[in-house]
Amino acid sequence: MKTEELIQSLAADVKPVSRHAVGQRIALGMTCGAVVTLTLIVAWLGLRPDLATAMYGFPLWMKWAYTTSLGIVAIAATTNLARPESKSLRWLWLLAVPILLLAGISIAELVSAPDDASVAIWLGESWKVCPWIVLILSLPIFVGLLWSYRRFAPTNLRAAGATAGLSAGAWAATLYCLHCPEVSAMFVLTWYSLGIGLATLFGALVGPRVLRW
Amino acid sequence: MLVSERELKELMVDGLDGNAAAHAALLSALVPLLRSYFRRRAHGAGDDIEDLVQETLIAVHARRATYDRSRMFSAWLFAIARYKLIDHFRRRQRECPVEDLEELLIEEGIEASTAEWDVERLLDSLPTKQANAIRGTHVEGLSVAEAASRAGIGESDVKVSVHRGLKALAARIRGVAR
Repeated sequence: MKTEELIQSLAADVKPVSRHAVGQRIALGMTCGAVVTLTLIVAWLGLRPDLATAMYGFPLWMKWAYTTSLGIVAIAATTNLARPESKSLRWLWLLAVPILLLAGISIAELVSAPDDASVAIWLGESWKVCPWIVLILSLPIFVGLLWSYRRFAPTNLRAAGATAGLSAGAWAATLYCLHCPEVSAMFVLTWYSLGIGLATLFGALVGPRVLRW
Repeated sequence: MLVSERELKELMVDGLDGNAAAHAALLSALVPLLRSYFRRRAHGAGDDIEDLVQETLIAVHARRATYDRSRMFSAWLFAIARYKLIDHFRRRQRECPVEDLEELLIEEGIEASTAEWDVERLLDSLPTKQANAIRGTHVEGLSVAEAASRAGIGESDVKVSVHRGLKALAARIRGVAR
């Protein structure tokens, strides 16, 4: 096709584009993925029976504060990497803030616990499955973000894949709190983070392949 | 015909607001810019140049939502063009030496602003040796050996001067664009 003809055909389809189109599309993709993840939790794992009382306790809010703060930073990075001339991601060190805060709480927990209980606190009831469940639950959100990215122009595909995986993992973990009855900071710091890390790694591995345009 | 960054940006923003005529004018104005961008970099690619131009135009159209109106248009445009070029090299399985890639990265900063910045004025701000090296190899199209013998210095000296000069220019332009 001649370039002039191509331009004619492209210019025949010019819809107005919102100033916030990138953010809106990411929000839409994430929300659709999160609905699938939530459905999986309710239908497959079940909500924790004591959810109503747990809402008044510290552990649930500590977990949510941790996972949502990771999720917010990750989504900001994912949005940034959607543009071809994305700016520096040096502010990603902010991710260290929630991790360090949770580490602080973990240490306090260890100090106040009886000596023989620390391993039990660390492993909880579900350490063997927790990271894998977080990884599985992250997949629908990751797919939602891939859909968002179909209209974007990422030029650093590995970083875009990794931050999309991190976002999916962090938000999947946030929803997983509705099921998971674990209460210790050390458990969350280790096993939740491991699940979120696996989701990030998965995103980094598949990113260059699935995000090409 | 060289169109300025400001004009391109106005056309782009009008197109984003739904003005089809402005969008068509933008795409047409990009054709010569992209042709020279790719011709200079995809050596001996022949017909591929026009394919690269068309692919970039399609991407500019389909992915225009990713343009942030508060940022420079040409930086956005040439980031897309560079991605398409690297993708092209990758598909061709052709060896794309790291050195060249680095040069692409550095030159992009300059390319993004040729519309607005007078190259000569920028070169004047560099030390004379670097400016002459860049003028010889990049503006007048001399080989490194020719530029070296003209300046009466070694070839590696020319290369280093070009490299440092381009880096300094890119940093300066980026600083101004912010």
